[in-house]
Amino acid sequence: MLQMKKRNTLPALACATFAVLVSLLAASVEAAPPEPPTNLAAIDKPWDGGGVVFVTWDASTTPIDQLQGYEILAKDLGQTPVELADQTAEQADLEAKDQTETILEGEGVAPQEARQRARIAEEADPAVPVVEPTTWQSLGIISATETSYEATGLEKDRQYIFTVRSIGSDKSLSMMTTPTEPVVPEAAWFNLSKLPLLIALCVISFAVLLFVVLARGGMPMNIRTIAGLKAVDEAVGRATEMGRSILYINGIQDMDDLQTVAGVTVLGHVSKTAAEYDAKIEVPTSRSLVMTAARETVQSSYFSAGRPDAYNPDLIYYVTDEQFGFVAYVSGMMTREKPAACFYMGSFFAESLILAETGNSVGAIQIAGTANPSQLPFFVAACDYTLIGEEFFAASAYLSGQPDQLGSLKGQDIGKMLAGLFIIVGVVLATIQAITGSSGLEDAVNYLKEVILGS
Amino acid sequence: MTPPSQINTDAVNVILATDCGSTTTKAIMIEKVDGTYRQTHRGEAPTTVEEPFANVTVGVINALTEIQEVSGRRLIDDEGHIIRPATADAGCDIYISTSSAGGGLQMMVAGVVREMTAASAKRAALGAGAIVMDTIAANDRRRPHEQIQRIRELRPDMVLISGGTDGGDTKKVTEIAELIAPAKPRPRFGKSYELPIIFAGNTDTRPEIERVFGEGGFDLKITDNLRPSLERENLGPARDMIHDVFLEHVMAHAPGYDTLMSITDAAIMPTPGAVGDILQTIAKGRGINAVGVDIGGATTDVFSVFDGTFNRTVSANLGMSYSISNVCAEATMPKILRWVHLDMDERELRNRVKNKMIRPTTIPQSLEALIFEQAVAREALRLAYQQHKEFATTLKGVQQQRTVGDTFSQEAGGETLVDNMKLDLLVASGGVLSHAPRMHQTAMLLIDAFEPEGITELAKDSIFMMPHLGVLSSVHPQAAMEVFEKDCLVYLGTCVAAKGLGKPGKTCFSWSLDSGAKGSGSMAFGELQLIELGVDETAELEVKPARGFDLGAGPGKALTQKIRGGTVGVILDARGRSLSLPEERSACRAAVSNAIEAVDLYGDQPAKVDGRAV
Repeated sequence: MLQMKKRNTLPALACATFAVLVSLLAASVEAAPPEPPTNLAAIDKPWDGGGVVFVTWDASTTPIDQLQGYEILAKDLGQTPVELADQTAEQADLEAKDQTETILEGEGVAPQEARQRARIAEEADPAVPVVEPTTWQSLGIISATETSYEATGLEKDRQYIFTVRSIGSDKSLSMMTTPTEPVVPEAAWFNLSKLPLLIALCVISFAVLLFVVLARGGMPMNIRTIAGLKAVDEAVGRATEMGRSILYINGIQDMDDLQTVAGVTVLGHVSKTAAEYDAKIEVPTSRSLVMTAARETVQSSYFSAGRPDAYNPDLIYYVTDEQFGFVAYVSGMMTREKPAACFYMGSFFAESLILAETGNSVGAIQIAGTANPSQLPFFVAACDYTLIGEEFFAASAYLSGQPDQLGSLKGQDIGKMLAGLFIIVGVVLATIQAITGSSGLEDAVNYLKEVILGS
Repeated sequence: MTPPSQINTDAVNVILATDCGSTTTKAIMIEKVDGTYRQTHRGEAPTTVEEPFANVTVGVINALTEIQEVSGRRLIDDEGHIIRPATADAGCDIYISTSSAGGGLQMMVAGVVREMTAASAKRAALGAGAIVMDTIAANDRRRPHEQIQRIRELRPDMVLISGGTDGGDTKKVTEIAELIAPAKPRPRFGKSYELPIIFAGNTDTRPEIERVFGEGGFDLKITDNLRPSLERENLGPARDMIHDVFLEHVMAHAPGYDTLMSITDAAIMPTPGAVGDILQTIAKGRGINAVGVDIGGATTDVFSVFDGTFNRTVSANLGMSYSISNVCAEATMPKILRWVHLDMDERELRNRVKNKMIRPTTIPQSLEALIFEQAVAREALRLAYQQHKEFATTLKGVQQQRTVGDTFSQEAGGETLVDNMKLDLLVASGGVLSHAPRMHQTAMLLIDAFEPEGITELAKDSIFMMPHLGVLSSVHPQAAMEVFEKDCLVYLGTCVAAKGLGKPGKTCFSWSLDSGAKGSGSMAFGELQLIELGVDETAELEVKPARGFDLGAGPGKALTQKIRGGTVGVILDARGRSLSLPEERSACRAAVSNAIEAVDLYGDQPAKVDGRAV
């Protein structure tokens, strides 16, 4: 029995010893970090808009089944000396503008007002200076089967160095590779991803030129009736019959705003009609330059209507740059003088409803036109007629009937049709993709969304 | 003259009515037969406004004498007076008259803004039965000297001035008055005649107007403002004033009218005003929308009542004799030629127009001439109706009330009131319509020119009795209504037309009469079909339009409605709206030929007309 026991104990001992050895070996393998990848290289992505770097490497010698993936790291070395010198006040202005736009969105405050508020806020609470990152920043972890990475979201015109390290299946990290040479993710002179935009631009430009040529050749260009512009005669007629004045507000922005320019164009038509009807037109402005432009326009209209004697420059005057100061003046004037027709053509903010409601309460026919989407509902509800966005910009062509302008308008319509077509195609593809879950369609949708429509 | 309020309508048994036209005085007799009023006899005589008679009553007595001879009832006594009251075999209870002799009532109107107060003034004048010679407005794009020149050229019977809302403009109204006063327009009748000026404008301007016209030569009448506010039109007082001035001045200066006025039981009305009155009475009485048309040699009058609003237009240059060349110029020859299914070219059409210009009063002597004349009539009616649609509009300059829901559908003021889908009754009168050899031709003229949509009754004024009944409606509305329904209108039938466009041969709508008992079927787009349904017959029509077509209940929605038959029957029209004929000549001829064949337009039509293939 004992012998039997001895005979059985020897192999058991050998097994135990082997197991211990294996486990020790395994423990020693687990403890060893994976090998880092080799031949790391980083290049700026060609034909792009900047901010993208291609990082490539050779796979780690560690077996792939023992690797979880690779971690890509980048270090921002800051701006190149040249670029640092190029930092201009323009950039600062753009940042300030972004800030003011945010405030605008929220409160319906005019940009000038918003900038002033932002300045005051900045003085009261100076911004904390941004500290340049000097440490390695992880850009992400990718699969062990990959040997390249497209680093996006980098700042243009700053220098970056990159490194990569392997991550073992037990989450152990390899040494970092030798960093790459500094790379600047510069913008190329042509961004290939914007090619669809270039094609669209060519198509639209061609369409505009084609329609201009056709219109000059006598091809009839029909524009659908715009109720707001058709009603100008009606509004001026009402003022004439009621023996009251016409009030024209050209927005509260300066002449550098496209809407103000469009508003001045419409003013030309309204004042010409007023001259023909011998009605009084009053134009208070909130910008001195707008006053000058409005005076020139109205004078020209009175001349073309054959009534230069009736032109009175004193009725076109500057009030104040202050948004609410201007509104207070105009509202007061409307309540006192009760104009029979009010025109609001240009860029408006929070004052839109104040003006339109006051005009409505004095019984005026009101025609508004603006491209500020946030103000449109107020105008639509409180005014008799409203020119919506594009209608407002099309007013010039509509009123003049000149072939060049009509052709240009038709050409732009082709562009809008193209955009509409892409949106419809995108919606259909996205719907099908959502139902079927097709990855091919998902790529197509992403391409459409990010490249074509995104550009 | 017995005031209308003092007439005992129950005791009225015999009514005489005359209409003194420019060339003919037409008289009718209405009698109570078995408890209802019926038009029993009629007579005609030449109008005697001109020399050698120079007395309108001579023509009136002659026309009544003809009725006397035809009816055997003694109406005129030995002294040449109308016998009243009626006895068993002599006389009448009521005598009434209208007049359009000497060109009717001719007016000039003025207002501040052409589309606002001037348009209201024009509506008031037209509604009162006048011909508007010109409209003066501050924005009519004429210089003051041109306006003065025009005023001096015109010889109106009266001038209507409007302008400014109450409390509104005074300056421009006064300026208009200051143009008219020194221009001193000369009246048509009498050198001593003081031209009536009716002022229906801003009440604040009255002192200024009195000052301007107070210097002599004018008879200034002031009435309520036509547009007290831009949101409201008040035409009644101005129309009444026009009528009073018409009687007081115009009629009093026309030869023999003072006598005629003294023997009538109701005020003499201008003929078109009376037609408008009867159409309004009928529309109000039956609760329908109606359109009436009177096409003459020189002018075409269109009357409409939509949702209780009456409008009248006179298309001064659209007529079948004196104005035929103008119709051709406005419509263009290809448009006229499209209605001719014969092998006729434009040159031949021009020759026919020239012949008609040389001899304007001739009537067609051959089928070919008739086809040509009816083609011109279609275009004249179409253009007159188009002008009417443009004039019969909602008020302009009115403040709109909007909601955010109106963002993409901002309707402007001045939209037309005429809606063919809402039209219930279309009444025709005038030579080319009333005297067409077959009633079918009258019906098709109306359908092709007016393009009624949905279900529309078609009728014609049998003997142009509407003016008489118009003035009668102010004295005895019941009698006017009864005669209008029973004797005045000849019901042609009902037109069932689908609105919408489709491909030829594709189903347009399906129909059945009295659940199929009187017929049923389906209409393909482009087809026309005539279903017989006699006079005084009615039937329940069920129609189901195809998708995209509308018969009154909405696109694609079925409709059941009782319809009326007539001398023609029920015309099912699946040619679509708006009606268009093929551009290509042979295809156009084929389409018109098919329509002619479908409704049996010319009866037993020969295979060839004047040697031409049909």
